[in-house]
Amino acid sequence: MDRITVTDIAKTFTLKPGQFVTVDGRESNAITVLSGLDLTIRKGEFITLVGPSGSGKSVLLDIIAGLTEASAGRASIDGELITRPDPRMAYVFQQYALFPWLTALQNVEYALEVRGVARAERRQRARHFLSLFGLGSFEDRYPSQLSGGMQQRVAIARALSVEPEVLLMDEPFAALDAQTRDILQSELLRIWERLETTVVFVTHSIDEAVYLADRVVAITARPGRVKKIIDVDLPRPRDLDIRNTPEFGRLKGHVWEVLRDEVRAAQKDWALSTASH
Amino acid sequence: MTYVLGRSAPVAGKTDFHRPALSALARLRATNSVVAGLPLLLALCLLWEIAPRLGWINAIFFPPLSAVLAALGDLLASGEMGRHVGISFQRAGLGFALAVVVAIPLGFLMGRYPLFEKATDLLVQTLRNTSQFALLPVFVLLLGIGEASKIAITFYAAVFFLLVNTIVGVKSVDPLLLKAARSMGTSDWDLFRKVIFPSAIPAIVAGMRLGVKASLFSVIAAEMLAARSGLGFLIQNSQLMLKAADMYAGIIVLTVVGLLLNYALVWIERRATHWRQGDGDQPH
Ligand SMILES: Nc1ncnc2c1ncn2[C@@H]1O[C@H](COP(=O)(O)OP(=O)(O)OP(=O)(O)O)[C@@H](O)[C@H]1O
Ligand SMILES: [Mg+2]
Repeated sequence: MDRITVTDIAKTFTLKPGQFVTVDGRESNAITVLSGLDLTIRKGEFITLVGPSGSGKSVLLDIIAGLTEASAGRASIDGELITRPDPRMAYVFQQYALFPWLTALQNVEYALEVRGVARAERRQRARHFLSLFGLGSFEDRYPSQLSGGMQQRVAIARALSVEPEVLLMDEPFAALDAQTRDILQSELLRIWERLETTVVFVTHSIDEAVYLADRVVAITARPGRVKKIIDVDLPRPRDLDIRNTPEFGRLKGHVWEVLRDEVRAAQKDWALSTASH
Repeated sequence: MTYVLGRSAPVAGKTDFHRPALSALARLRATNSVVAGLPLLLALCLLWEIAPRLGWINAIFFPPLSAVLAALGDLLASGEMGRHVGISFQRAGLGFALAVVVAIPLGFLMGRYPLFEKATDLLVQTLRNTSQFALLPVFVLLLGIGEASKIAITFYAAVFFLLVNTIVGVKSVDPLLLKAARSMGTSDWDLFRKVIFPSAIPAIVAGMRLGVKASLFSVIAAEMLAARSGLGFLIQNSQLMLKAADMYAGIIVLTVVGLLLNYALVWIERRATHWRQGDGDQPH
C-alpha cells in the first residue's frame, strides 16, 4: 500500500532583490530547486534519499512535512493532500532542534502535549521512548548537558513518541562521530523494525543509505528529480557486519555510479555561480 | 563577571590536591569577590571617619561616618526612612510594571512582524532618544506634580530597555526551533507562548535588569526636582536644610538598595537561564 505519493512536484524560490543565481549561463532572480519530481513511498518502508548538495532534498522533505508549499504538483499521505503539518508525520533534523530550556523528558512531552495527549499519559509515554534509546537516567538533563549523540536520541525519541506513520529524517547522523553514528544507525533499525513506521531518510553517506534502506532514491543535481531507485534486497535484521559482504559493496558501487555524474554537475554549477560573483 | 551574593567560594583545599604550592595570588583569586573587596571598602569607611575629624575636610558638609550612621539610625527608628523608601519603591515599581506591560507585547509584535516594525521603528527610535529627564517638565505640566508624573518618568526610563531587549530576544529565536515546533503541529499562539517567549527570556530579563535600575534612578531624580516625599526628596531636602548627615544617610540607603536590587536581579537572571551550560548550579 502507498503511504506517500509525490506527483510532479516543482519548487521555485524567488530570491531577495539583488540576489542572483546563474542558470544555464544566465543570471536569474529565481531558483528552481525541484522540477518534475515523482516518488511513491510504500507503507512501512525505509527509504533513503541521496543526491548532491543543493539538489533540494531538504526542500522535498519540507514539502512532504507540510512546512513548505510546492510551486507545482502535489504531495499526499494516504491519498490526502498535504497542506500543513500532519499529525501522522514527525520530523528529525541534523541539528537536533531540541528546546534548550526543557529537559530531555520535557522535550519529548512537548510533542505529546501539542498532540493533546493527557498529562499522565504524556509522562509515561515520554519515559518509555527515552528508555527505548537507553536514556532512562538522563531524563532530567538539559540538552546542553547531553552529548550530540544523546541529543539526537532524544530528538528521535520525541519524534517517535507521537507514534507517527511517517518519520522524516534530514541527515540526522551527519553531525555525529563515526562510532556514534554506527550505534545510532543500528538502534534506529532495531526500533524501526518494531514500530513499522515509514521512514524517509536523507543522507550524504552512501554507506549509510545502503545499510538502512529498502530502497535508495537517487536525486539529480538541481533542479532535483528522481534519477534512479535502487532496490536493496539485503536480508533483515541487518547487523553492522553486513557492510563487509560483497553484495553490500556491489550495491554501494552501484549507487555511487548513479550519483557520480550528478555530483559533478552540481560541482560545475557551483563553480559557475561562484566564478560569476 | 557575575556572582550571587552568599555563594560560597571554591574551597582552596580541593585544588590543593592538584597544586600543592598554591600561591597567595591564587588564594585571592579563589576567594569570593565580596570578601576580597572588603578591605578596600573598609579603608574608604575609615577615611570617611577620620578625614572630617582631623579637619582635612569641612565636617559641616562632610560629617564623619559615625555621625551619618547615627543619623541613619534615627531616620530608621522614626520610620521616616522607611516611609520615603517605600514611596520611591511604589512609584518606581508602578512605572516599571507599566513598562513591562507595554514593552513586552509591543516588543513581541515588533520582533515578529517586520512590517509592523517598519511602521513603528522610527517613532520608537525618536522617543527613545529623548532623555526622560528632559521630559519631566512636560510630565509635570501634563500630569501635575503628584504621583502620575513620577510614575510616567519611571515608565519612560524603563520601557525602552525592555522594548529593545524584547525585540532582540524575539529575533534571536533559532529558526530551526520554530521549524521543529511547527512540524510537530504547534499553533501560532503556542509558538509565541512555548517557543518564542522562552527563547526571548534571557534577553528580556537582561532588559529588566537595566530597566529596574533606570526606573529607580529616575524616580530619585524626579523626587529631587519636584516632590514632597520619597528618597530623592529626603536627600535633596536634607541638603537644603543643611542636614548633611541625613543627606548622606539617604545616599547610603540608595546605594545599598541599588546593590541589593542588582544582586536580586542577577539571581533572577541566573534562575531564568539555568538551562544554559557552564552556570555551575544546574540540576542533575
Ligand atoms: N527559502 C529559500 N529561499 C531561497 N533558496 C532556498 C531556500 N531554501 C532552499 N533554497 C535553495 O534550494 C536549494 C536546495 O536546497 P536544499 O537545502 O533542499 O538542498 P539539499 O539537497 O538538502 O542540500 P544539502 O545536501 O546540502 O543539505 C539550495 O540551492 C538552496 O540554496
Ligand atoms: Mg539538506
